Amino acid sequence: MISKKTLGSIAWHLGALAIAVVVLYPGAWMLLSAFKPTNQIVGSVSLIPHDASFDNFRTALNGIAGVSFWRFFLNSVILAVGAVVGTVLSASVTAYAFARIDFPGRKLWFALMIGTLLLPFHVVIIPQYIIFNNLGLVDTMVPLLIGKFLAAEAFFVFLMVQFMRGLPRELDEAAFLDGAGHVRIFRSITLPLMKPVLATASIFAFIWSWNDFFGPLLYLKNSDLYPLPVALRLFVDQTSTSDYGAQMAMAVLALAPVIIFFLVFQRYLIGGVATTGLKG
Amino acid sequence: MKLTQKLSILITAGAVLATTVACGGGNDAGGDGATGTITFTWWGGDDRAVKYKEAIALFEAANPDIKVKTSFTDFPNYWTARSTEAAGRALPDVMQMDLSYLREYAENDHLADLSGLSDIDTSGFDEGQLNAGKVDEKLLGLSAGTNTFALFVNPAVVEKAGVEPLAEDYTWEDWNAWILDVQKAGAEQKGQPITATADYRGTLWIFIQWLVQKGVDPYTADGKIAFTQDHIKEFLALGDGPNQAKAFSSANRITQLKPKSPFLVSEQASELNWDNFTATYVTDMDTEIQLLPPPSGADGTKGMFWKPSMLLSVANNSERKVAAAKLTDFLLTDPEVGKIFGNSRGVPSNTAQREAVVSEEGSPDALTTAYEEAMTEHVTAETPVPIKGFGTLEATWLRLAEDLSYGKISNDEFVEQWWAEAEMATL
Repeated sequence: MISKKTLGSIAWHLGALAIAVVVLYPGAWMLLSAFKPTNQIVGSVSLIPHDASFDNFRTALNGIAGVSFWRFFLNSVILAVGAVVGTVLSASVTAYAFARIDFPGRKLWFALMIGTLLLPFHVVIIPQYIIFNNLGLVDTMVPLLIGKFLAAEAFFVFLMVQFMRGLPRELDEAAFLDGAGHVRIFRSITLPLMKPVLATASIFAFIWSWNDFFGPLLYLKNSDLYPLPVALRLFVDQTSTSDYGAQMAMAVLALAPVIIFFLVFQRYLIGGVATTGLKG
Repeated sequence: MKLTQKLSILITAGAVLATTVACGGGNDAGGDGATGTITFTWWGGDDRAVKYKEAIALFEAANPDIKVKTSFTDFPNYWTARSTEAAGRALPDVMQMDLSYLREYAENDHLADLSGLSDIDTSGFDEGQLNAGKVDEKLLGLSAGTNTFALFVNPAVVEKAGVEPLAEDYTWEDWNAWILDVQKAGAEQKGQPITATADYRGTLWIFIQWLVQKGVDPYTADGKIAFTQDHIKEFLALGDGPNQAKAFSSANRITQLKPKSPFLVSEQASELNWDNFTATYVTDMDTEIQLLPPPSGADGTKGMFWKPSMLLSVANNSERKVAAAKLTDFLLTDPEVGKIFGNSRGVPSNTAQREAVVSEEGSPDALTTAYEEAMTEHVTAETPVPIKGFGTLEATWLRLAEDLSYGKISNDEFVEQWWAEAEMATL
């Protein structure tokens, strides 16, 4: 005889499974639609393709208007890797200053930096655009990357400051007594201890940059420089013709690296968030 | 090497890079703006991009001292990017322009007067098309192709419903009666009821077409609304009959099918839309499509107008207006370019391009050309140039129309809410 507890557990799992199906359905729909002919995609909710083929992938890999898929892919990689490198380098140094160096006006600057978190991107975009345009940097990747190298991403600085505050100061002091300056302390003591939070920041920076649409849309004019999210939109145009199949195929190809990245670094991500004390 | 040193090298390298790039942007300035690199941008998909690239290759071959840098995105994002650039006075030299946005960009003086640019030959355009691109007597956009309303009919669905096809001289009342007939017939397509049309009140342009038929000018010369709230009420009341009988395609079904429509999946017998949708319908539906004129007004006239489907404009902030003018002229008047595009930008406005379009019998291009030729007698009205903020008003109209078809608001509430928004937008 099955006990009440087992029954409850089965019901609970079935419920969870049902919810998982609902949550995963759109993703599965996208994945399987990539194998369907274009005219069978929109308006159909069924998952199983009737005439499955790789045609959509072939179209997607051929690219758009003479620019190959790999070009878009490479652009996305450059932007994402640039964002990761920039963020890790600049945010960690900045966070060290905020967490460990008692310079005048530190509290004010910290508050101002947190304040920039509250500014919506759309508020600053026009002045930013004007500045980059006057500098002649529009249609290059500089506007999209320079902020990352200058620790303009307050979220990451904040994340790292919170993490550093949890590191015992005694370690720094011991190093200081041994004659180490700030550079040495940062490089030899703090940085190695920061691995979890650096991993977290890298993952977020990578995913955000990979999925960023609005920034590249504004700053990159030449289709040779488009990253994947912008390129994706080019398959569907209501005023002429739309190729939903190719769009789905490209969406799958575009998502694959993020998913792989997430799966590989998942434990760092969860570990990193848990150790920074940023809860809920 | 110490980290500080590494960092300072990195920063110096960054600064040097930034300066180099900055200089690179300014170096190729041409003397009189007739040579050098110009930028050109449009909205559209892969298909249009391939055509434009082909056309631009021809242009660059004919003008070896001008280089064209191109970019393109889809329609909604196109305007996001343009409005940011406009704020920075950094619009591309030549850009595709939509009639709905023309006045908005005109009011802030973003667009150059094309009649002042001698490289643009406007002789091959008829008066009406030139006027459609004019704001305050300045020619700010030159029409690439024309559209006009057409009632797309799917004869197979009409036959399935078992109703008489519409005659060409049908009126709005006849159409309403036909819509109810189709519903009464009760035919089904894959378990879904066949309807005659979606609620035609949902498109602001259809209301404008209806106004023009009544002889009402929708806008004043200085860009204000010239119709009244009573006009909107009268128009909304026109669709009350079929709406109360639930004879229009249901809002639920339309939402389910998005971005397709009941017409595209053969659940709907007709759809009133711009005639440049022919290509989309023919390719997506794989069935024969007929084009009828829109319903006639009370006095029996159709009062149709040619709407430029897209225009080309030159930015006022352009430093190479002469080169920009040459490109604009080439793209709009060169017969070879006409051949490349066919009717995909609308039936070409320019005579030389229109004559150059060769279309296969039965192709979408041939359908549209034949339709527009047949409609010439019905095109009796001037194109109403939309007022500033039209894009927003159009979107509000659509949103309120959805609420209306879900039964969330009444006709009077529709008028009240839309009017409030219109007053704000046109202040």
